Amino acid sequence: MNETYFKQLEETLYHEQLPNGLNVYILPKKGFSKTYVTFTTNYGSVDREFIPHGKEEPVIVPDGIAHFLEHKMFEKEDGDVFQKFSENGASANAFTSFTRTAYLFSSTDLVLENTKVLLDFVQQPYFTEQTVEKEKGIIAQEITMYDDQPDWRLYFGAIENMYKEHPVKIDIAGTVESIKQITADHLYECYNTFYHPSNMIVFVVGAVNPEKMMTFIKEDQASKSFEPPQEIKRFFPNEQNAVAISERTLQMDVQKPKVIFGIKSNNTTISGKEMLNYELSMQVAVEMIFGRTSSFYQNVYETGLIDESYSADYSMEHGYGFTMIGSDSINPDMLVHAVKQTITDNSKEWKFSEEDLKRITRKKIGFFLRALNSIEYIANQFTRYSFNNMNLFDVVPALENLTMEQVKEAFESLKNENTHSVFKIIPNLKKNDE
Amino acid sequence: MFQQFELAHGVKLYVRPTEQFKTINISFKWKQPITVKDASIRAVLSNILQYSNEVYPSNADFRKRLDDLYGTALYFDTTKKGNNHIFSLNAETVNDAYLSNEKVVDEVFSLLATVIFKPLLVNGKFVDSIVKREKEQVIERIQSMYDDKTRYAQQRLLENIRPDHPASISSNGTVAEVKVITNDQLIEMHEKLLHEDELSIYIVGDINVEEIKEKMKNYFPFSNRTEKLPTEVVNKQGKNDTNYLHEIQDMKQGKLHIAYHTPITFYSEEYPIMQMTNGILGGFAHSKIFMNVREKESMAYYASSNYSSLYGLIFVLAGIDSNLQEKAVQLIDEQILAMQKGDISDLEINQTKSMLKNQLKEALDSARAQIDIYDQYKELNEDFKVEEWVEKWSNVTKEQIQQMASKIEKEFVYFLSGKDGANNE
Repeated sequence: MNETYFKQLEETLYHEQLPNGLNVYILPKKGFSKTYVTFTTNYGSVDREFIPHGKEEPVIVPDGIAHFLEHKMFEKEDGDVFQKFSENGASANAFTSFTRTAYLFSSTDLVLENTKVLLDFVQQPYFTEQTVEKEKGIIAQEITMYDDQPDWRLYFGAIENMYKEHPVKIDIAGTVESIKQITADHLYECYNTFYHPSNMIVFVVGAVNPEKMMTFIKEDQASKSFEPPQEIKRFFPNEQNAVAISERTLQMDVQKPKVIFGIKSNNTTISGKEMLNYELSMQVAVEMIFGRTSSFYQNVYETGLIDESYSADYSMEHGYGFTMIGSDSINPDMLVHAVKQTITDNSKEWKFSEEDLKRITRKKIGFFLRALNSIEYIANQFTRYSFNNMNLFDVVPALENLTMEQVKEAFESLKNENTHSVFKIIPNLKKNDE
Repeated sequence: MFQQFELAHGVKLYVRPTEQFKTINISFKWKQPITVKDASIRAVLSNILQYSNEVYPSNADFRKRLDDLYGTALYFDTTKKGNNHIFSLNAETVNDAYLSNEKVVDEVFSLLATVIFKPLLVNGKFVDSIVKREKEQVIERIQSMYDDKTRYAQQRLLENIRPDHPASISSNGTVAEVKVITNDQLIEMHEKLLHEDELSIYIVGDINVEEIKEKMKNYFPFSNRTEKLPTEVVNKQGKNDTNYLHEIQDMKQGKLHIAYHTPITFYSEEYPIMQMTNGILGGFAHSKIFMNVREKESMAYYASSNYSSLYGLIFVLAGIDSNLQEKAVQLIDEQILAMQKGDISDLEINQTKSMLKNQLKEALDSARAQIDIYDQYKELNEDFKVEEWVEKWSNVTKEQIQQMASKIEKEFVYFLSGKDGANNE
């Protein structure tokens, strides 16, 4: 078992890669009474075209299948896995993102028993046509629920604007129509391709004895048989640098218009240290220019163009990335104008000092230390970093070493107008009878 | 859990030294009985105080100062608890131990004192342009609830069953009341916080209790004030001619919200039994409502119940297809009826006990939750212990749960959906 001590953070991380390829990480946290265990596969909604395990030709699967599979993992021949977790006092959950599917539980008691339930249910697929059919009603309601949420529609509308081909533009849950096509065979095909231990990570954090837990997981995995690991071949369409749609408006039953100014990122094939540095540079640049201490923010707040819903951030994964600046706004067009103007002004004259950089860096370090109190944050973020060959615990030193040159270079990538896109939601025109 | 000290009459300090967290959490909670008018004033006041102060007159200066203090989080919040409105100021800052040669914590104390005692005033008044804008911000916050259909539906249900009652008064007040707030009213409310409202201060983190106590006395010279707020809420039912309301908006999913009243509140002897009863009914993923409405019938993605113990109310919530409303209500009725008839398994009882215990213990892994839970439970017993509550649940029997279920009475069904039954595309 490898042991790494992060002196500044006073944390020790334990790691081992098991013979079947599974990576196991354990981070004990002093003083905590709960243990949080996540079992995550490097497989999400963007993985729609791939060569299935044991085959040679690529297939395209129905939209929303990774999420559908996540739902179906909880149902077994002898009933619902939630029942078992409940008996052991564990709260279980799962989520699917663009790039990952995570299964997790947290509990303050019977941690090894619960870990066993988690490992078993994720590693023993059970799908029948009947149970697949039954799930369609539940997921259709989940999709419908999101359809009524303007902020979710805004977020996805902005992504749809930016991407022409890349499957990041497809809603994670798919559509009521696309999930109708899903069969048990599809689920097995995706499961067998993406749920091999070599494509997965177990992360344990909280109240845990690392040696005991590692031995337990090792023995469990050794007792199960898996096929030898195979390289997973995924295919992504070529995506143009420019946005697909530069401006679009949707009408919905909302009180006040909503807008996102999106900037598509094209530097997205990097990973590891390079990705970490780029991501942090972008985040610091966005914070400097559009954060709460910026003159931009001061100006749009005082003129009433934004409200408490305002946000500005950058996010990326392998293959896609974007900056989003958004808010509910009484005048979205004026807000968009102010954003564009700010980008232009900064490209003419870079107005930030080393002092500004230092302040933003400190803020981000403080945020990171606060986040380390949350074992959910640690587990989810660590896994994300790991799938991108980065280490979560490198964030503080990387921030400390960030230079103004890097930040300025990151800002340069925001300038190209072909990568700008505006998505608005405006209130319905009121009908006469209402 | 917390050590307590009296800083002045009516001002209590609760301290919990622990090495569990890398940060120090501080929370000031001012309480007074809730009214629509005062909630509105306090919501606007909290925004004004959060924006700027005498030392940092512009928001950018103020925020920059916080960023310099390693991104110290400092925010006001207004909430309610039973009969009372809570005006709170919260801060979370990194512990000096994780920073070399820094003294952040003292600086944060000093900043908090500035925020509380030295607001930005001109001729004894708040700055009019700031007042105007922050009133606007609160109005927009209140209105934005309309866009969140679940919150909107719940608020409409409450307005129907408990009009002009603490249960339905929003902690942000109302648009109409916010509009008419004057600068003088805000000044007056600020004075009340400084001199009249009951105040509890919480500190959690790796701290030295004696040192903190001394610092608190120095930085926060609060005056004596009179106590003590009424705690128990009188659960008077509203007068409704009907017990059903269907409202229509332009939307796809139907939002079903059902209210039940019970004679049991947080302050009742039987409170732990009602927690168990609600847990079996719909509090968890193993509960009857989830199992039947979602898993068996595939009617919903979410279907659950929650027990609002300060008001003695239970709410059942489900997102369903708009033409399945009657079927869903019937199915939910059946679950309660089943419990009243004694259809409660040992498995359900054990699962619920384990989950309640886990929920409480897990919550205590967050400093913020330690503060909130203690702030609630201390009203029953200043010496709050997790084990005591676990013990209370573990003694609950099937017969007691059955008896409790028979005290749950359906009061109102609220349904929000698109055009009735039709596909609203």
